[in-house]
Amino acid sequence: MVHAPAMDGTAAETIDHAQAITQALVVRARNGDGQAFALLLEQHYERIYRTAWKWCGNGDDAEDVAQDVCIKLGQAIAGFDGRSAFSSWVYRITLNAVRDLQRSRQRRGRHVDALRQITPDEHPADQEEAATSKQLWAAVRRLPEKQRDAVLLVYAEELSHAAAAEIMNIKEATVSFHVHEARKTLRGLL
Amino acid sequence: MSNDMPGDPLNRLKDTSVPPARAEARQAALAAGMAAFENSAAKTVNAPKGNPWGRRLKSIINFPGGKTIMDMRLPIGTAAIALLVLPLGYQLYLTTSMTQVPSPISETTAPAPAQVPPPRQDLAKQPQDSRTQAPAAPEPLESEIGTAADSAAMMESMPAPPPPVAPAPMLSQGGAAMEVPTTSFAPMSDMVVVPPLPAGDQFTSFEEQRLKLVAEEPVSTFSIDVDTASYSYMRSMLEDGFLPEPDAVRIEEMINYFPYDYPAAQDAAVPFQPTIAIYPTPWNTRTQLLQIGIKGHVPPAGEDKPANLVFLIDTSGSMDEPDKLPLLKRAFALLLDQLSANDTISIVTYAGSAGVALEPTAATNKATILQALDNLWAGGSTAGADGIELAYRLAEQHKVADGTNRVILATDGDFNVGIEDPEQLEDFIKARRDSGITLSVLGFGRGNLGDDTMQALAQNGNGNASYISDFREAQKVLVQEIGGTLEMIAKDVKIQVEFNPAMVSEYRLIGYETRALNREDFNNDKVDAGDIGAGHSVTALYEITPVGSGGELVDPLRYGSASQPIARSGEWAFLRLRYKLPQSEVSQLIEQPITSDMVHSDIAQASDDMRFAAAIAAFGQKLRGSNYSGEMSWDAIAALARSGRGTDESGYRNEFLQLVQTAKALKPDAVPAVN
Repeated sequence: MVHAPAMDGTAAETIDHAQAITQALVVRARNGDGQAFALLLEQHYERIYRTAWKWCGNGDDAEDVAQDVCIKLGQAIAGFDGRSAFSSWVYRITLNAVRDLQRSRQRRGRHVDALRQITPDEHPADQEEAATSKQLWAAVRRLPEKQRDAVLLVYAEELSHAAAAEIMNIKEATVSFHVHEARKTLRGLL
Repeated sequence: MSNDMPGDPLNRLKDTSVPPARAEARQAALAAGMAAFENSAAKTVNAPKGNPWGRRLKSIINFPGGKTIMDMRLPIGTAAIALLVLPLGYQLYLTTSMTQVPSPISETTAPAPAQVPPPRQDLAKQPQDSRTQAPAAPEPLESEIGTAADSAAMMESMPAPPPPVAPAPMLSQGGAAMEVPTTSFAPMSDMVVVPPLPAGDQFTSFEEQRLKLVAEEPVSTFSIDVDTASYSYMRSMLEDGFLPEPDAVRIEEMINYFPYDYPAAQDAAVPFQPTIAIYPTPWNTRTQLLQIGIKGHVPPAGEDKPANLVFLIDTSGSMDEPDKLPLLKRAFALLLDQLSANDTISIVTYAGSAGVALEPTAATNKATILQALDNLWAGGSTAGADGIELAYRLAEQHKVADGTNRVILATDGDFNVGIEDPEQLEDFIKARRDSGITLSVLGFGRGNLGDDTMQALAQNGNGNASYISDFREAQKVLVQEIGGTLEMIAKDVKIQVEFNPAMVSEYRLIGYETRALNREDFNNDKVDAGDIGAGHSVTALYEITPVGSGGELVDPLRYGSASQPIARSGEWAFLRLRYKLPQSEVSQLIEQPITSDMVHSDIAQASDDMRFAAAIAAFGQKLRGSNYSGEMSWDAIAALARSGRGTDESGYRNEFLQLVQTAKALKPDAVPAVN
């Protein structure tokens, strides 16, 4: 390897490498290669679960959502045409699965989760900080869907506005608008 | 935006601790995913499910007295209208679109095989097209056209559907389709095991340059080519996991995509000097590669020639995708940073919305320009607008005497610019070119790209055809090369190489299939050829077989040749270069013998640029499935490219290395390399 002035080149190369592997797996899975799809699921399960946890706020729901997402990926991967990045596609499916789960909950009138202040998942050490942070999380999760998605994608997942826009299938400016609206809604809390 | 605000409480959202998922939940999820995957894979093999009667369920309510007349009127009426509208639509399609463009380079080149537009390509695509469209139109039509008696009989024979539950499965099916982002994939019936190639992109078909005998055809003539569209198209295909079709791989455009460090000429009067080298061919031990590189003179930075740019932007509905109009808008801001107060920009739209979107405006007036750009919208079908005439009229009105006047067409394949006949359109562009206004084409998106038309228009307009696949590419074309693509330093550049039969027995030009010229065209100043911009570099490679190397593919003549060559030992070939200065109509000539002191006996001695160019040629030939590509493995190509990577400040060469790996995954070497 030449360690010439191309500093950024080597950094970009490692990232590109991971992407290239995912890309190759996606192509193989789309062609019906079960092994590749299994690898792909293993590679992505952790991230799907973590995302679902942030949106739902508890492990049980997050596990349900992650499983739904795995099933949907299995059904739809053959039709994934690669127009958007695989990761944003997975995000979109995850957010949709969260929404479905929560809508079906609402229909059955179960609001238990929203009222829980401190979940047993939390470490007991920093209870106080956790309490304020929990309040913030609870408030964010109660936001209207679009605002919640925008805020969590930008702040919890630390994506750019452009990336969030791609996932939510809206314009970049609209993401900023939703974040702005969310701030207004949360003003009392922040 | 405000994410960087210190003390922003929303920033706390990022450091949350997520407890790990339970191992059994993870296992269950992965297993469920696999089951779904296998299930859907199996489903694609089976016949599609549907109503066993082959007809649509028309009503969930069972009318006791048979069918009411209302029920039949609507479908019959629809069918009648459809029968009326379909031929009309087809007629409209034939008369207004330019899908069947004849030869793009008819004026400039020899009657090479490249020029016959292949009906084969269109035919090959038809099954694919009809497959994707099939689920949409014809099915309901067919089931509704049936006679009244027929359908009444059918309704009678149909069992009574259970009224309250019937809608439920349909609803949930619709819901499932909505849940996943529907834009990104095809309906279930389209799922096939082989990845569907994006159909609809049109390419000029060409045959690879053949091997030629020096004894029979000692002279090779071609026009330079500074387009790069083929490389970025190929890259975007590979990155998405498809192999580009052979006609999409134009090796000279791939080689010329990369900047090379040839010494540039010092003087604008003689705007370039050739750099020549001969070194062993990496894919054939018995032959040599002859590399000819030229780099355009770069005018001193102080000189700021005015530019008058008219953007002609396609705003048809298909442009409203993230990699099209929005990408153009983002790239535009970068372009504006490159321009100065004596440059003007105007914007004309066609298709969708039509007319002048921005009157000529000084390029420093960024707010106005970006505002106008933001107001562009993509939507609607094609309105018959005279977009191209309008664009040229604006360019004419604000023509600058001593600078660049250019129309830049940005489209995803809809060339319905107001002149229907492709030949007429080319003539129109040619006539304007002669009056000093050139044309460049920026191609966006995939699936409908008229690459052949793009090439034809840009070649007739003396401009460049570039394919913008992503933001990085937009930056390269609009920002880094803007000096080159805007300021022409020489036009109608032709290259002619005469080989010495005493030294070279066979030769083959790599690439430039669509740029071949007749021998007599070289000295004919009326024959158009490619232009070169400031700082552009152009590279041509010949694979040559030295006399006595044993690498000849053609057997020698039994009775020898008639004429005795003039013996000039030590000279391999003779290079002639013709060009015209921008303001002149008379060509200048540069001549240079190619002598033995330009020969490197080992490819390792050749410069980085040369090794890299050779690696791209090998890559392109392998990707195309060339007859001459030898046995070189992807790894060997990657190793050669890596050895020629150099400092690679822009990172393009590193990216190429990645592409080789992708290509390797998609088209593995048939036999593992035996050492």
